[in-house]
This record gives sequence, C-alpha cells and structure tokens, in this order.
Amino acid sequence: MSGPRRVLLEHAAEHDVTKLSEYEKVGGYESLRRALGMERQQLIDEFLASGIRGRGGAGFPMGRKASFLPKPEQTPKPIYLAVNADESEPGTFKDREIIFSNPHALVEGVVIASYAIGAKGAFIYIRGEYFTEYEILVAALEEARDRGLVGSNILGSGFSLTIVVHRGAGAYICGEETALLESLEGKRGQPRSKPPFPAIAGLYASPTLINNVETIATLPTILRLGGEEYGKLGVENSAGTRVFSLSGNVVNGGNYELELGTPLRTLIEDLGGGVADGRKLKAVIPGGSSVPVLTPDQIDTPLDFDSIAKAGSMLGSGAVIVIDDRCCMVQLALRVAQFYQHESCGKCTPCREGTRWMVQILRKIESGEASQNELDLLLNVCDRILGKCLCPLGDAAAMPVASYVAKFREEFQRHIDEGGCPFGGESSLEGILSPVDQHHQHVRARIDVPLPLADPTVAGRVAAS
Amino acid sequence: MSAPELVTVTVDGREIQVPKGTGMVETALSAGIEIPVFCYEPRIGPPLGACRMCLCEVEGMPKLQAACTLTAQDGMVVKTAAESPMAKDGQEAVLEFILLNHPLDCPDCDKGGECPLQDLTFRYGPGTTRMRFPKRTFDKPIPISPLIALDRERCILCYRCTRFSEGVAEDGQLVAKNRGAQSIITTFEDEPYRAHFSGNVTELCPVGALTSTAYRFKARPWEIQSVPSVCGLCPVGCNTWVTTREGKVVRILSRNHPEVDEGWICDKGRFAYGHLRSEDRIAKLLRRVRRRGFEEVGLGDAVADAEAGLRQAGDSVVVAFAGTETLEVADAISRIVRGTLGSDLALLPEEPIAALDAWRAPLSALRSMQVCLVLGDEPVVERAPGVDLWLRAARRAGAAIITVNPAGSVQVPPGSAAQIAAALASGQVSGDLVEVDRVLREASRVAIVWSEDDPSGGAHAAALASALGLGEGSAVYWLPRTPNGKGIADAWRAAGDGRPTQAPPAEGEIGALIVGGDAATADPRVLALAERARFVVTSAMFMSEVASWSHLLLPGAAPLERDGTVVNLEGRPQRQHRAVQGPGIDELVFWSELAGRFGIAVSPWPTFEGVGEQAALPARAAAATVQAPAPSPPADVPADGFALLTYRAAFSGREVDHTPALDFQRPLAEVELAHADASRLGLAPGDAVVVSSNGTSRELAVRVNRRLLGGVARIAADHAAGLGAQVEIARKA
Amino acid sequence: MAEVVDLYDQIQEIADRYPVRRSAVIPALQLAQKTYGWLPPHAFRQVADALELTPAYCQSVASFYDMFHLEPVGKCLIEICTNVSCALVGAQQVLEAFQDELGIHAGETTDDGEFTLRTIECAGGCGWGTVVAVDHRYRERVGAGDVRGIVRELKGLPPEDEDEIEEEAQ
Repeated sequence: MSGPRRVLLEHAAEHDVTKLSEYEKVGGYESLRRALGMERQQLIDEFLASGIRGRGGAGFPMGRKASFLPKPEQTPKPIYLAVNADESEPGTFKDREIIFSNPHALVEGVVIASYAIGAKGAFIYIRGEYFTEYEILVAALEEARDRGLVGSNILGSGFSLTIVVHRGAGAYICGEETALLESLEGKRGQPRSKPPFPAIAGLYASPTLINNVETIATLPTILRLGGEEYGKLGVENSAGTRVFSLSGNVVNGGNYELELGTPLRTLIEDLGGGVADGRKLKAVIPGGSSVPVLTPDQIDTPLDFDSIAKAGSMLGSGAVIVIDDRCCMVQLALRVAQFYQHESCGKCTPCREGTRWMVQILRKIESGEASQNELDLLLNVCDRILGKCLCPLGDAAAMPVASYVAKFREEFQRHIDEGGCPFGGESSLEGILSPVDQHHQHVRARIDVPLPLADPTVAGRVAAS
Repeated sequence: MSAPELVTVTVDGREIQVPKGTGMVETALSAGIEIPVFCYEPRIGPPLGACRMCLCEVEGMPKLQAACTLTAQDGMVVKTAAESPMAKDGQEAVLEFILLNHPLDCPDCDKGGECPLQDLTFRYGPGTTRMRFPKRTFDKPIPISPLIALDRERCILCYRCTRFSEGVAEDGQLVAKNRGAQSIITTFEDEPYRAHFSGNVTELCPVGALTSTAYRFKARPWEIQSVPSVCGLCPVGCNTWVTTREGKVVRILSRNHPEVDEGWICDKGRFAYGHLRSEDRIAKLLRRVRRRGFEEVGLGDAVADAEAGLRQAGDSVVVAFAGTETLEVADAISRIVRGTLGSDLALLPEEPIAALDAWRAPLSALRSMQVCLVLGDEPVVERAPGVDLWLRAARRAGAAIITVNPAGSVQVPPGSAAQIAAALASGQVSGDLVEVDRVLREASRVAIVWSEDDPSGGAHAAALASALGLGEGSAVYWLPRTPNGKGIADAWRAAGDGRPTQAPPAEGEIGALIVGGDAATADPRVLALAERARFVVTSAMFMSEVASWSHLLLPGAAPLERDGTVVNLEGRPQRQHRAVQGPGIDELVFWSELAGRFGIAVSPWPTFEGVGEQAALPARAAAATVQAPAPSPPADVPADGFALLTYRAAFSGREVDHTPALDFQRPLAEVELAHADASRLGLAPGDAVVVSSNGTSRELAVRVNRRLLGGVARIAADHAAGLGAQVEIARKA
Repeated sequence: MAEVVDLYDQIQEIADRYPVRRSAVIPALQLAQKTYGWLPPHAFRQVADALELTPAYCQSVASFYDMFHLEPVGKCLIEICTNVSCALVGAQQVLEAFQDELGIHAGETTDDGEFTLRTIECAGGCGWGTVVAVDHRYRERVGAGDVRGIVRELKGLPPEDEDEIEEEAQ
C-alpha cells in the first residue's frame, strides 16, 4: 500500500470537471441515476457496506449515522441534510479543494444522500471565507438545476430536492455539527447539548443528517465501485481513501488523496518531498491542530484511524502539519492555545475561561517569567478542561498543548530555567501575531489583550497586563 | 390523561422513583440530594448545559455529564460530586473557572448574602485561588436602563438573562455580544433595556451582575423583612414578596404562583412604589370646612359625618368605584348603600357578567391551548402584562395565537371586537375570518382573550364560547381594566339582592356620592356627579378636583399598605398583606365603623375565606345560555385622513408618575402608521408629523408598523389627549 | 457615510429560501455589509425590520462572527493568516512587510481609509502558505518579498521595475 490512490479526485487533475459536461464525460451523475432506481434502504446498506467513516474529524461511520434517522414515513417532520463545508481546523484545506476542483461530486453526493434519507431540503454550510469556492459551487448547482439533476422531479424519478448553499461568516466553532445547525438557524453558532442528537432533532428541530463535504462527495464513488468494493480500499476499520492536507515545513504542500493506511512517511517524504530547506523533522501533527503531536520516531505510523490512535493521537481532519527543528514548541503551544481561545464560543465555562487562562500561562512561560509550578498548573488546567466541556473545542485546546508538554517537556523546562526562549529569537514562530493579540475593535471593555504594539515582533511575549 | 410512567433512578446509591423524563436535578432533589446549578432554570426554557456546575458521573458514560440536561431513565445510575471523585474533581474545576475572573467584592456587592455563587462557593468551592493574573475588568457599573445596573466583571455568562429576554418575554433586547472570553451581556448600541418585564433579569441573575438600581446599596439582607403580597396595579394579580427596611418598601420581588405568574412580574409591579412615600399624599382624615379648605377630624367625627350625609341622601346615594378597593371595602360599601339605604346607583369600572365564570380557568391553562383568540383593540401587554407572557408561552408550546385587531394577525378596523365575536358565533364569516372560524371549530382547547373595555361585560365573549361549544379544557379570559374590578362587581352584585345596577341620573342634585379611590377621581363623569352631590365622601391617596369637592376625605391606602382581598381576572381571590404602614387610618376600619352605624356587621380585618399564601381558583360555574347585545359597528376608516386608535399604556398613571426611573418605559411620543400609509405620505421612521383633529394637534414622531391596518393611526392615550376619532397627519413644517 | 439603501425586498427574497425566516439573518447581514462596507447601526435596524427581529438580536449574531465588521474598515481588507501552518513558513515576516508598506499595525486602518490590515486564523490554504486574503480572494505562497508588489498593485500603481524604467525614460 503506497502512493496516491485517487478515486474522489480521480479526474480532477486532467479534466475541468467543474463543468457539468466534463463531469458527465467521466461518468458523473451516473451514480445518481443508479441511486434513484434503488430503494432508500439499499442505498444506506451500500454506505454501511463501504465502511466509510466521517471525513470531518470525528470519524463516525456514515452509514450508521444515516440509519439513526427516522424514515420519512415515521415522522411528521421534514428531514434535512446538512453538509458541513465549514472547514476550519487549522491545517485542513481538502474540502476547499474538493469544491474547487470537483464541485459536481459534492452536488451529486448531496442528491444521493438526500434521496437515501428522504430529505426534501439540503443545506450546504460553506465557510464564509471560501468565497471563490462558494461561487464555483453555486455555478455547479445552477448547471445541475438547469439539467434537472436538482430541483423538482429529479430525472423523472418523482424525487424532489431543494439545495441551499449557506455561507458562514467566520467562526471555527460552526464546524461543530450542532453549532452549525444553530448558525444555519440564524443564531450565534454555539453548540447545543446532546441529546437530542441531530438525527432526531436537528435543523429546525427536525431529523437531520450532517456530514462533511468529503464524505458526501465520496458517495458517488461508493456507488460507482459498489459499497463492498470501496470497502476493500484502505485497511480494517478505515475503509477507502482520504484527501490528506499536507502543510508546514515541507517541500510540496498540498492535498493528496491516499488510501487509508498509507504510512505517514510516504505522504511527507515521497509525495511531500520531505522537510523543506534541508531541516530536520521535529514533530508532526497528524490530524489538524487539535490533536496530540507525533515525534519523528513515529513517522512510519500508517495513516488510519486505529494506527494513529495507537500512536497516541487522532486522524482528525486528515491535516498533516510538518514541523521542523526551527520551531519552539512553547511558541507552538501558545499559538495553538490562542487559536482556541479566539474560537471558543463562550457558552460553557471550562472552555471559555480555561482557554484564556491557558494562553495567559503559556505567555508567561514563553517569556521566561514563569515559575516551575506554573508549568504544572498549565497541565492541571488542561486536565481540568478535558472532558468537562459542552463540545469538543475545549478538549481540542487542552489535548495538543498537554501533548507538547509531555513530549517536549525539556523545552518548556528550559524556558523556565533559562528565563526565556532557548531559540533566542530564531524560532520560526517567534513573535507571531495572533488575532487574539490584535486590537479588538468591537470590545469597548478593557481587556487584557495588548494593544497594537510599537514593535509587533514582541507580540507573543507580552504578558497579561 | 394516564398516570406518567414511573422509573427508578439511583442517585448516590439511593433508589428514587420519579416520572420518566423528570430532570436529574429535580430527581436528585426529591431524595434530598442537591446538585448545584447556575445556568439551569427550567422556567426560561430547555436546559443549556453551559455553566457545567452540575457535572455528574453516569454509569455507562465515559465523560462527566451535565445533570441539568439529563432526564430520568429507568435503571440510570448517577453519582454526584458527593459520591464520585471524578464528579467532585469536575465540579471543583468548574467552580475554579467560574471564579477565575469573578471579583471578590462580596462585601460591597448587593447580591452578597443572597447570592447563589457565594453560597455554592461556600459549600463546594476552593478556599484559595490559583489565578495569578489580573482579573478581567470592565467599566462599572453600566446602566443598561434607568432601572438596572450591570457589573460585567461579576457576570459568569450563564445566559439566564438573555434567555429570559429572548425566550420568555421575547423582547429580544438583552443579548450576548462577541464571542468566547470577550462575550458580554448588552443591549443594542447602549440603548436602554426597554421592555415590560426587564426587571426579572435582576432576580434571575445568580450573581451580582444585574442589580436593581433602586435597591443598589440600600440594604443588607440581614436588615430587611419580606412580606408576601399580591400586586395591586393590574388585574393579573401577580404574587410578590415585598422587601421592607425600617418600615419602607425598598424592593419588590416575584413570588412564584405557578398558575398566575410563574414568578415573573412586570416592571410596573416591581418598581412602581415611589408614590407610597410621596410628599403630596393625603395623610389624614379630612373634613371640608367652608371657606377654610380642609381640617383634620378624628375617626368618630368622620364616621358621624358620613352617617349623617348618607342618611340624609337615602336612596339617592351613588357609588363611584375605582376598581382598586379591596373586596372587604367594596362589600362594606355595597351593603350599606344597597342593603340599608336601598340605592342601586353606581358607576362600576366594569361589570363582568356571571356567565363568564363557566369558562374560568387558571392563566397557566393558556399554555395547553391549541388556539388562543385575542379580541379587542388594546394590546394585552398594556392592559394585563402578565397575560402577554402566558400567550407567548402558549405560542411556544404550539398554540396558534390569533389576534384580531387593527394591528393583529387578522387586521380589522378599530372597534370591531364585538362584531367579530358575533360573526364567529354565528358562523357567518368571510375573508380572513373563514380560516379563523375553521381553526376555532376544529380545535378542542380554545382560549378567548378579550382585551378592551367592554360595555357588554363579556357577553360577546361568553356568547362566542357558548356558540363554539367550548367546554373542559377551554377558557375565556375577559381582561378587566382595573385590578379588582371583577371582585368589586361581585361584591356589588351580592349586596343587590338580584336588583340591577342603576345608572346615576344624568342631571339634578344627588344626595350623596361615595368615591372609592384615585382612579375614580380621574373619571370626568365622577367630577360631574361630585359637583351635583349634596355630600361627597372620597377615599384617595392624592388630591384632585373631585377630592376638593368632597366633604369628607379618607386617606387612601396603596395595596402595599393594606390587608385585604382582591379578585384577579381569572376570578381568583388573593390576599394582599400590609407590608408597610400607610400614613392614614385603615380604610376598612372606617367602613366597618360606618357599617356598624347602619346595623351591619363588617369585620375591621379581612375574613374572606379561601385565600391563602398561594390562592386557589374557585371551581367553574355551570354553563348558562348567554344572549349578547347587538354589536355596535366598528370605527370608520376614512378614505382620507386616519381613524385614531388609542390605547392606555401599562406604564402610565399615578404610580408611574411618582417613579421617575420608569419614565423611559412610558410610550414614546409616536404615531404608528401602516407601511403603505407612511410610504404614500413620504414619511420615514422618526420623521416629525403633526396629528390633528378639530383644532387640536399633537407633534409626534412616525413609527412604521408593518402589521397595522392601512388608514389607522395608533397613538398611546398619553399622547392623544384631545384628538378626535378621525385625524389628519401632515409632515411637520 | 453611505446613503441608507432599502434592503427590505432583497432580504425577503433571501428569507423565502429558508423554511424558517430567521435563517436569513446571516445572509441578510452579509448583504447589508456588502452594501455599506460594514455594519452601521442602521443596518441592524433594517435587517431586524425585514426579518421581524430586534436590532439587538441581529447585532448579537453579527458580533459572534469574525467576518462581520462592527466598525468601519478600509475599502480594501488585507488579511494575513498567522495560524500554525502559515506561521511555520514565515507569516509574521509577511505581516511585518505589510505593516511596513502600509504604515499601520495589524488591526488598524490607514488614515486615508483605503486599507485595513489584520491577522486572521486559519484560512484553509495551509499547504500553500502564507495565505493573504485581499477582500476575501486568496493569494497563496506569499513571501515577505512579494508584499511590496502586492501593495503597489492594490494601490493601482504599476509594478515597481516598470515604474523605474519609466522614470529613467523621463
């Protein structure tokens, strides 16, 4: 098992499949035609047989999720499909690529999934920043509509579907499924407590299936190959391919569709061209910034759910961030914590207060002003956030930071012992200015964020005032 | 309904049986186990699970769960922080996070001593803090209205206040702004939180973040006393706790009566007590002395004067009730006048017919209705504020709320209520009413709410209920104008031995006039009677023209200053308790003494049976056939010009006049116009216009109401004085 | 300040797409922001009026999302991703280059109201950092050395070398 295996992005490299005619030339919408001739349950059985797990981050089996919904005849309420295109996990840019280069696969997948669950309305929640991709998607949808592939009585099947593309407005948390629903309902995107689960009471309190772009866009492929055949791709418990987003200190960053189970080394070295600038590999984040970090000795870990979990991390969104030896891990921890502080929705206490406290402590450690017990305090704060929050965001802040301390403790220790950063200003993340450190225009309150700095290079060093 | 299924849940090793679906906090509490909460408050909607204070360990679940979001399922095994080290660790973590940026200013915080955060920290919290960074600070305090102050650094973002604003009062004005640790509670662009029920957020706040400006720094919890009472400012009769300090009212809080108010009171009921200590109150028993004004008299002389005046008048005594008198006072007056003197002459604020009692139901029954039909031109929230909250609760619970008025979901010309009721009763409907008729007839649980002055006394409403065959599960709520109008009408009727009320003669001298309260003194008809009366006895808190015509002036008592019974719009007799001593003698003592002179035994203290601290509603009366009078025609909507529609605002009247902090709640000097009318006249919201009729004109600002019927101009009565039924509107030059 | 534009009908059109009209809040605010460049108080009043909500509610929603501007911004919005992937490949140097070129700090607007510069969290171009979004159109693999050219382009100036050639010709 090695090398790229393109099934989802198979044709996107050679053809402009953003155009309906080109997409159809390579077999586009054939799966939809087949699906419309099948029973709903048969389709769900195909999804189950394929073993496909959610590509958003949590990795929940898609077929099982779909089977949790009541059948249309069992509920008086309308059923909805919500597609999560709010890709925001740092390091992840695969959904953007899928929409950019293969939007019809998503549209086709949406119609197939909607038909399978009996939804008459589907919403694609695309992050607001993806403006170009939004235009591409809307154009593809228009084309599909004009050809009777979306809308009323699709291809004469009697099945009708309305698809609305809904743009987000800049909030990482809306990638969390219930926050996405809140946002789609016109509210602040704060997660709901579960139960009730969206399959029972989701959008407008109606049964709702929520899946990631990649998951939905893979459905036509699954039907083309057949669920069982698709299931043979990849390894046990991790069927199929995934589009991995490779970034950081690597020669060829980009998206690579690989069979699950491909070793991390293949992605980084063979496809990515290895660590850039001839530097040494220091660490790898295998699944987006919210997951624990891996060390160079773990580079042969296969990229599948179980193997990565065994290595102490998570496959997450499939975003692989390569970190070379120029990076100060304390600064990395600070920057990651700042991100989660910035994105914390403010609903539950441990996340709202805890992420902010983490940043305060990390700033102090980074600046060399912290005492020994503040390093222990940091770990304890992480521990006090973990498992106490309403949604996974708090954990997403605590887990990586705790892992950096666990695996690079000596580097944290040196900041305390030496009273400053051992990189002496040469770290790649030195002085990086995060949005939480930027001047907050719409908060009139006095907050402890440093105001615009005379010398922005010291931004990361300013302790709370 | 069948009995709910009981399930067995184990909490901290104790087996508890509760109905399936009971919240875990309540389940544990039923076995005496406390699960501490901050954000959880079932009255404001579904649990939020935000503060995480209630974290518990549940067998079979790897992570701690927020108990407030759990419901009892059979076989569930729950361990609270008392038994589970994991839950204890979670709770300690949460409390540390909550206190992280919370100032420790308890000694000068108004909440101190009655603060859930203080109490729970005392019981469960860490003794020290590990926070070494400066706490988050904000400008303090921020007045979010003249009534409420916000200390943002104390806020723990439990979202109780915003959920109340959005999900109970539905005013949508108090909101959270920004995200994450920068989230703050605020209003739009520093505009005041201007809504009928705003004050409730000060009670909901579990910390000292939202406090009442009037109560700020006024008292410590150990210096105050609390008296249970019932609000006397509108016919809802919300139950209250009156906080007093050194014999003065310093605060009014809600006292949850689940059938009447669910623990919400409006800002008038909460804040309008400024008149109690007003300088210009009538504080003594006064007798008019020719050319010298008034002189103080003793109780014995006053009773003697009254007896003489009334005996001389005989059956030419007129009673002008104010609608604020207690049942006991109304009973005494009615028995003297009708029973002994034989006069049936009265001006009653309202005369609800007895047949209405066949559809009597607690206000809480609104929540289980399928359809609520609201008839009448006066906004419910202005006439009986609490009813508006119940209607909103009904809508959230799935009821269809149909409002038929010029600004309703079905738009009709002003003054159409009786005609609409008659049409719906007969089934002869057209236009929008066809659908209303269908919905009404298909539903089995229907409420009719009547919200305007109704000379028929509810006959139209009762006739409609009767025609629709409304039975068990349905209800009619006829909203009186005055707080005890219904009770007074009942007392008057009971003393009349079946004789009908007589209207006072239109001209000529009358023997005597009894004026029951300030609201009656403001009635021009009463002034006209006073001018013609040989003897006038008036009970009032404040001087007025009528009062100055009086021969005998009794110092009126505010509801907070008296013991007595009032009957609310449901027909529920409730007890008002004296929280503070009024300046004058007790009115009931006077009437009791006077009744004694006429040989009638009236107790000088309330003896009315059946009212407790949480009064029950009497059973329904048997249904009777109701004949409604022919409805009078609605107002003309003129082809050019506008039909004037006015309403009495809740925030008006003497009590509000004496509470300057409530000024901002008064209706703005605005005229509401339909969108099409405003467009036609080229008027934008906020534009100044002159509204005029018959030589009277008012300068008002335009407010565009997209729900208002074309050709109608709606103005609060406070700003419409002197205007006729039809008005002209022109841009101010 | 820009004229108040009647958005009522357009917002109704948006609302009609959704089973529940409140879902139109974000798109309606996006429309208002496109119209006015930011969200002034009257924009919230308009959206609230059209959707039967309160201005406070609409502002509460807007303030949750980073892309809504509750204060005026420059005609051109330059956003630099400084999240991990871009930071590792020199985002701070790119940011500093923009600060130098524009003479403002991140979070500020130039005095002439032309440019607003700010850092943002991950924009989703991680493999091709540093990502710079100019009015939400991404420029990828931006290095500090590219910044001068970008700013000149945004100011409508010709590329620098041509400029020099012109000067020489004169």
